Amino acid sequence: MNGKNISKDGQPLIDLRHISRVYQVGFEQVFALRDINLQIYPNEYVAIMGPSGSGKSTLMNIIGCLDTPTGGEYYLKGINVSEFDDNELAEIRNKEIGFVFQMFNLLPRASALKNVELPLIYSGVPKSIRLERALKSLEAVGMADRISHKPNELSGGQRQKVAIARALVTSPSIILADEPTGNLDSKSGEDIMKIFHRLWHEGNTIVLVTHERDIALHAQRIVRLRDGLIESDELNHHRVVFEGVNE
Amino acid sequence: MIKLITEIEESIRISAESIWANKLRAFLATLGVVIGISFVVLMGWAISGLDKALQDSINLIGEDMLYIDKWDWSGGKRWKEVRNRKEITLQQARDLISNLTLAEIAVPLATTWNAQVKANNIFYSGLSVAGTSADFGRIPSGDVEKGRFFSYADERETRPVAVIGYKVAKTLFPEEDPVGKEIKIKGQKFEVIGVVKRQGTMLLDFIDDRIYIPIGNFMQLFGGEHRRSISIGIKAGSIDRMDEVREEARGLMRTIRNLKPWQEDDFSINETKAFEEIVSTFRLYVWGIGIGMTILSFIVGIIGIMNIMFVSVAERTKEIGIRKSVGAKNRSILLQFIIEAAFLCFAGAITSIVFCSILVFAVAKLLPKLVPETAFLQPFLPVDFVIYASVVAIFVGILAGFLPALRASRVDPIESLRYE
Repeated sequence: MNGKNISKDGQPLIDLRHISRVYQVGFEQVFALRDINLQIYPNEYVAIMGPSGSGKSTLMNIIGCLDTPTGGEYYLKGINVSEFDDNELAEIRNKEIGFVFQMFNLLPRASALKNVELPLIYSGVPKSIRLERALKSLEAVGMADRISHKPNELSGGQRQKVAIARALVTSPSIILADEPTGNLDSKSGEDIMKIFHRLWHEGNTIVLVTHERDIALHAQRIVRLRDGLIESDELNHHRVVFEGVNE
Repeated sequence: MIKLITEIEESIRISAESIWANKLRAFLATLGVVIGISFVVLMGWAISGLDKALQDSINLIGEDMLYIDKWDWSGGKRWKEVRNRKEITLQQARDLISNLTLAEIAVPLATTWNAQVKANNIFYSGLSVAGTSADFGRIPSGDVEKGRFFSYADERETRPVAVIGYKVAKTLFPEEDPVGKEIKIKGQKFEVIGVVKRQGTMLLDFIDDRIYIPIGNFMQLFGGEHRRSISIGIKAGSIDRMDEVREEARGLMRTIRNLKPWQEDDFSINETKAFEEIVSTFRLYVWGIGIGMTILSFIVGIIGIMNIMFVSVAERTKEIGIRKSVGAKNRSILLQFIIEAAFLCFAGAITSIVFCSILVFAVAKLLPKLVPETAFLQPFLPVDFVIYASVVAIFVGILAGFLPALRASRVDPIESLRYE
């Protein structure tokens, strides 16, 4: 087995119990998720894989507290968040989740620094501390020299690094990345994956949603979805190892 | 609390940025508000000018002055009843003046309107001639700028002397000193011995267009006129003494006029308050028109702002999604868009205040040169109205921004993140 050992002692960070999500389309009910049971422990690096329509986006939305399940329970750090309202979910997202999206989703008119600061504004962190933490976070992804650049002045890879810095700035429990390399060339993609790898080594929990096998192979554990059900959930025995990154 | 302040700060910053990014659009959207605010501010300006004109008039007449007259200034009494009152004769006026004990000064005042004078080979008509006593020189409207007011001796001996108003002096003696010159009133020669200070205000512009002569001379010239009535000007000395002086004058006047206890006064005791009533009616008209226009333009303004805010919300759906994904609550988004609308309106208010300040300055500096009666206009905006206008603008913004902001706050983060 490559990499760190998984400790399954103690409380799972993410605990999904019989999660289902039904969409009402006209008179028809569409099951995006049927019966998902999944536990993710602190400092795991999990890839959620599946073809489009498998329910992986829905699962990501539920794990990321952007959506609530129609059935089952979701415990995040032991708290049942499946019944939370919009405002409670917003607070959980702010504190516990760091999103990294395929389309970067940076504010186009704001500088890199302002973009990274954004989550701290909504948690009410005073300006000076905000600035300090945003700078530290940008430094961590190697973007300290680009803080006043606007997204359109940055390359795709650089934008994604800023997005990662934004995800890190609140020191969340989970970093949730949705096809983070989907819009990048292979070189930039590799850079991004290296950053995730390092973050994992530094103790972060990473959930990676992707349909690309090559990307999923960076993770320590791979969960495959099909038709709203977990098809397989196993350790990854073919892990991509980066040179120069300590195992 | 810190959280709220942080969010408000952020919202103001975003508003400024998004307005700056769409300058022309923002300007067009706020046009209604700009016009509305301009109405409020200009209305306030006109009213404050009017108030100043009123105050000037009151100061001119003297706040502690009472005028006993057949006529009622405020126009509140029934016109017919007032018209049928008996005239106040010169003898009655003199009886009153000699019996008053509490007043500081009391003078008879007889006026003829539409008189004609000749001097320097110029005929001047349409002015008024007033007969009064030497004491008139001691009340504010008899303040002399050049020469002197006539004396007790002038009055006693009915010397043909005249004190002329500012406008009369300007018209008859544009280039020379009027003092010592001769004028003819109704064919009779008078020597000009003084010029009354310029006093004209918008309400009492006739006052500069008047000639004062001793009352004896006046009665010789105009005393035989049909239904001549004399009024009596009484200076109480201070506002505190107005009530006592008024009561004494009323009692004396009732005795002089032989009124039975059950009869009503057949004369009026006029005060500067009457002017306030006239002005307050006028002010009401200004307000009425102004408020009507203001409401109308604010309705247009609200629709404009609301429209542009709906567009803005639609354009920034993705931004809303991003903000929500990093932890913005519905309330934060609501606040952000309401603040943006309020800020937009506030910027409109600033625009309109700057514009109105320039306009008002130009008008107040230039217009009185063409129309001297507008001299009461001030070259700056009244501060209180500038504050009201800004507050109203912010309120309008909140009102106009509420529905679009509510829509923004209800945007589904999942949908909006997918939005391109």
